Amino acid sequence: MTRPRSAGHLQGEGRPQTGTLLEVTDLRTSFQTALGTVRAVDGVTFSLDRGRALGIVGESGSGKTILSRSVMGLLPRRNVEREGSVRFQGQELTTMSLKERREIWGAEMAMIFQDPMTSLNPVMKIGKQIAEPLRIHLDLTRSAAMGTALRLLDDVGIPEPDKRVDQYPHELSGGMRQRVMIAMALACGPTLLFADEPTTALDVTVQAQILDLIEAQRRDRNMSVILVTHDLGVVASHTDEIIVMYAGQIVERAPTAVLFREMRMPYTEALLESIPRLENPSHTPLRVIPGRPPDLINPPVGCRFSPRCPYVQDDCRESAPPLVEAETPGHVYACWHPVGSPVWAEIKARQAAPHAASAEPAASTSPPAATAIPSASATDGAR
Amino acid sequence: MTDMLETPVDAELAGAIAAAAGGPIDQGPAPPRRYKRRGRVTIWLAVAWLVFLVFSAVGASWLPYVKHSCSQYDNALQCSTYNKGTPLKIERPPVWAVWAHSTTHLPGAPERAGWMGTDRNGYDIFSRVIYGARISLTIGVLSITFGLLIGGTLGLLSGYHRGWVDRVTDNTMNIMLAFPALLLAIFVVTFFNSPDSTDEVTARKIWPIILALALLSIPPLTRLVRANTLSYAQRDFVLAARSVGANDRRIVFREILPNVVPSMISFALTGLALLIVAEGALAYLGLSVQAPTPTWGKMIYAGKDRLQDAWWIALMPAFVLFLTILSINLLGDVVAERFNIRDKIE
Repeated sequence: MTRPRSAGHLQGEGRPQTGTLLEVTDLRTSFQTALGTVRAVDGVTFSLDRGRALGIVGESGSGKTILSRSVMGLLPRRNVEREGSVRFQGQELTTMSLKERREIWGAEMAMIFQDPMTSLNPVMKIGKQIAEPLRIHLDLTRSAAMGTALRLLDDVGIPEPDKRVDQYPHELSGGMRQRVMIAMALACGPTLLFADEPTTALDVTVQAQILDLIEAQRRDRNMSVILVTHDLGVVASHTDEIIVMYAGQIVERAPTAVLFREMRMPYTEALLESIPRLENPSHTPLRVIPGRPPDLINPPVGCRFSPRCPYVQDDCRESAPPLVEAETPGHVYACWHPVGSPVWAEIKARQAAPHAASAEPAASTSPPAATAIPSASATDGAR
Repeated sequence: MTDMLETPVDAELAGAIAAAAGGPIDQGPAPPRRYKRRGRVTIWLAVAWLVFLVFSAVGASWLPYVKHSCSQYDNALQCSTYNKGTPLKIERPPVWAVWAHSTTHLPGAPERAGWMGTDRNGYDIFSRVIYGARISLTIGVLSITFGLLIGGTLGLLSGYHRGWVDRVTDNTMNIMLAFPALLLAIFVVTFFNSPDSTDEVTARKIWPIILALALLSIPPLTRLVRANTLSYAQRDFVLAARSVGANDRRIVFREILPNVVPSMISFALTGLALLIVAEGALAYLGLSVQAPTPTWGKMIYAGKDRLQDAWWIALMPAFVLFLTILSINLLGDVVAERFNIRDKIE
């Protein structure tokens, strides 16, 4: 909330301030493929304070996973280009050698992965895997590391830890394995934890437990957390701030409560509407966002969401909207005709109309009028 | 904060609780499948055979059931069976082969002799097999071990690092594979056997053979390990290990290698059998250890022309080889099962 920096990536000069743990400025990551250059992360700027939780939300292919890996520097060796700046505790990460980064990985920043079924080594005992970072960074002896591993397992709520350390991953359930992953990530007491869709592979009852566990550990250790997910429901209750990503770019960023109350970006709205609601009767069709995530080799001209946006106007297809400040401090979005603007209201009303009065002939006269509006009033509303 | 439903690993119990509660439950691990345990008896027989073989080979010179010291050049004749002080240079079938007859009939000489019969020099085949085990097993085990060490390392490195390491290794292996195997072995053995040496015994060293056979085993092992490494290097747990700061060496040897070992073992055991036989091919060309010293491969090759009249000369050592390889493979399966702790349900 107390974030004096504005977001446009043109003014991304990182001014270090007290309490800031991580500052990402105009980060760009692209992959060279046979088909062309995939710009998976395309000019992302944000910062994160100590002890805070940041959510990164977006559908599959929006670049959120690559963003978290780019920040950490955990990218494949080949055919990858990363530009921009990542400052972590005042150190520039992008210019660090691999060796220097290894010192930080696991010790200062750690990551939990999506699928606990595959992210533990199947032929290594649980205890040994958790002891791994301890032995790498703290140079503990085997027995000391095992003792710490036991305590960590207890911390993450695994019953009978002394029995579990001698078990192999396949002997544990998915939820337990994710707890083991968390214990492994927390082993050296990192200040920043990336959780890359930590609950996607788990069933709903376990999801909540894992998220609560991460939250509890965050509070206990005054650790910052970056929670990457496609599920707005997951971030709603476990983050302080949310970044919504689309096609490798930030399209909206706001404190969690603000985002849910006064979202501006139609994409955010669409994401929220696609969450099934409990009060709906059974067999209500899920709302989906039509179309597919854009091709990141040749992203659409103008606003990247325009081909799928229900409120799209001509100007959206011509120029890309910059990130602009909303009324609430700390809330930025990138849209020419945001939620709440006249164009939005008009189209929203028209969408609702067929349900209320489908026979009404007047509905057919409104489209020409709607196309006339954008250049004049809607852009005013946006700026 | 601990959840009751997750506590027991006993999935059956958890399933029962879930059914009773009628609610969703964390998907526990599948109930431990009943492994089709290979017959314990079979495994113990395999162990017994290998122990017997190694014990006999090591102690051949002193053991009463191994007739004579056939490995010793000057005592070679002692291997043969005797009739009143005269060596019987007769091919005689094993004692249990009651339907078979010796190829030459000598009055007063027993028709059949020994557990495995005698060869054309009248040498007791069983004794020669035991002595032959010394050389054959040493050559087989050592060459496959070198192959594993070198091929395994190359495969791990090229599969993990890719890039120029991979290209160089891959091309080298292609060339080695394209080279006729026997020719390569002949080349290596003759190259390292000093032609100046007049003493024939020292001229036929054992290590050039090991080296030649190891060279033959390297390319397929490299290929196998590389392919396995490639697929494991993409796995999430390797990324997870990187994310806690593990360096390349740690990832390759502690994360990837244990996963590759089972397939390495099973491949190496097959390779062991092939290499023992390949030694015989070299022996046939006169490139293996010096003449009276027996090896299994040599015995099989020597007997193959006599299959019609004296089948036991080739078949007995072949049978021993078969039993040994079978035993090793059975044990290998047990070892692989021990290593292979991952569940295939993933």
